[in-house]
Amino acid sequence: MAALDRETSPTLAAPGPPPAAGARGRRWRWLAGGAAGAAFLLVLPRLMPGSYQLHLLNLAGIYVIVVLGLNFILGWAGQISLGHAAFWGLGAYASALLTTRLGWPFAGGLVAAIVLTGLFGVVVGIPTLRLRGHYLAMATVGVAEIVRLVLVNWEPVTGGALGVKNVPPASFGPLLIRTELSFYYLILAWALLALLGAWQLQRSTFGRILQAIRDSEIAAEVMGVDAPRYKVLAFALSAVYAGIGGCLYAHLSGYISPDTYGFDQTVVFVTMLVLGGAGSLAGCVLGAVLLTFLPEWLRVLKDYYMVIYGVSVLLLMVFLPGGVVGLLRQAISRRRLAISHQPSAVSSPLAESRADAPGPGPMDG
Amino acid sequence: MLQLVVNGLAMGCIYALVALGFLLIYQAVGALNFAQGELVMLGGFLGISLAVGLRLPLLVAFLGTIALMALVGWVFQRVAYYPLRDKPFVAVIISTVGVSIALRNGALLLWGPNPLSFPSLLGDEPIRFADSSILPQHLFIIAVTLVLLAAQYLFFTRTALGHQLQATAQDPETARLMGIPVGRMIAATFMLSAAMAAVAGLLLAPVFFVTTDMGGPVMLKAFVASIIGGFGSIPGAIVGALFVGVMETFVAAYVSSAYKDAFAFLILLLVLFVWPRGLFGEKISEKV
Repeated sequence: MAALDRETSPTLAAPGPPPAAGARGRRWRWLAGGAAGAAFLLVLPRLMPGSYQLHLLNLAGIYVIVVLGLNFILGWAGQISLGHAAFWGLGAYASALLTTRLGWPFAGGLVAAIVLTGLFGVVVGIPTLRLRGHYLAMATVGVAEIVRLVLVNWEPVTGGALGVKNVPPASFGPLLIRTELSFYYLILAWALLALLGAWQLQRSTFGRILQAIRDSEIAAEVMGVDAPRYKVLAFALSAVYAGIGGCLYAHLSGYISPDTYGFDQTVVFVTMLVLGGAGSLAGCVLGAVLLTFLPEWLRVLKDYYMVIYGVSVLLLMVFLPGGVVGLLRQAISRRRLAISHQPSAVSSPLAESRADAPGPGPMDG
Repeated sequence: MLQLVVNGLAMGCIYALVALGFLLIYQAVGALNFAQGELVMLGGFLGISLAVGLRLPLLVAFLGTIALMALVGWVFQRVAYYPLRDKPFVAVIISTVGVSIALRNGALLLWGPNPLSFPSLLGDEPIRFADSSILPQHLFIIAVTLVLLAAQYLFFTRTALGHQLQATAQDPETARLMGIPVGRMIAATFMLSAAMAAVAGLLLAPVFFVTTDMGGPVMLKAFVASIIGGFGSIPGAIVGALFVGVMETFVAAYVSSAYKDAFAFLILLLVLFVWPRGLFGEKISEKV
């Protein structure tokens, strides 16, 4: 828990303890931070002003899972996938259809969603990940569009444009998870699990290999890394995260329709990741939460809110190209610099992962 | 049959114009503009406002729209590209996506959710020819596109400005050393690209209508066309676009109108898996 907390609140722990504090002091600090974080997350739903805000919080939790998944392939491996809405949709439809049409329990639907999206991720990943840059981006858009068109047009099974109604709430045996509040704890558990998994992977060989592939695929292969295999694995894992998110979303909202699984949804995920700070777990969490609530904060603008939303995405990108996390890191390193005069390198993790496009040089008019 | 071919070619010409606008920017700065479809939409709507709203003569309205859109192109590169010019690839994608969201919803506020259109320059009376009827606008689209492509070819190969633009696209550093104002050339490329989008919007408005959410599909189709042709290759993109246009018209007529878009993407995937660099592939040497 303490370890997790470092990721959810980077401002708290990132500067690190002073060198004199020693391991014991550090452990106590972590425990205290973890306990405070846990307490905060447990009471957080009570602090929401209304049930709609609680619903948004639940959505944010689901998006955290999906964005953490997207981070494996885009943030770490540096492969631009613009088809994540397909996996999100597949997870949602798999579970929704199995529970409504065949009467499967929620857990069965969830397992089916995980297995199906994982398999689909491997099947799609093997051919598409041979491509790079905008070819990969386009191929994944193509796959996602085909999935969406099948969802819309395969009416006997998917319900077509009308979608699937009356998706049952989540349940484990007799334990029924029906209210927004109980859903919050279910989603929190999954989001923490997803975060823990991602955090473990980040420190593992697997995570480092992916980042090596991002920085230079050829160099990684020279070191003996089977790059295609790792990319497909990362893609499949990323698909599973999206599938879990999709499944939770279907049972939370009780109704799904193909509109929510188009290219726009993929764009939302990618924007969350990049604005939060691609490559960083804290960035995934911040980006997902920030962009879930941003449209709500802008809703006071009435009709203009989607226009302003688009403009704020643009402005955030222009002024925070390293994402929110990049900004925080800069602030922290500046403070450290002021204290110790030690130079420290701050770089955006995506900085080296340009597509194989002919790079534009620095330009001035 | 003939009717379907003309229909498909007309649609293909529109995709070709959009794809070309897309590729101009890509070649000049290596960035993908995800708002290209919205620029087409904006061009269509501005044309409608000038021609129907202000009752300007059609030709004046056309030229006015193209001029306005060139201006939009300048503002666009200043806002969405210039500040991010040395940032990673994804950053520009996201910033142009931001612009596309803003434009789409802005258009919804200004022009409403209903599809709009304006009268064709040549009237709506179909031409009968060997038991098929062909709309004059379709022929007009094909003719204008051909003229534009030829003009653009001459512009890039025969004029000093065209050469400077090409030099900038090929190697900005060297171009700068040669005394070419690289920043201005890039701005000019965006303006040209937006003007091309405006022409596409004006041409499609009389027969295909303009709606606020047309941008996404148009952009994806133009993208598919340029990838099928081999990204970066202009002749390839034109062939790809005509192919996509004709194919989707035939699929809609004979197979299934619901799956016509799926076919475009299916063919895209097939092409990518068989020829990963497209039919007229761009040559990329891997940098280590």
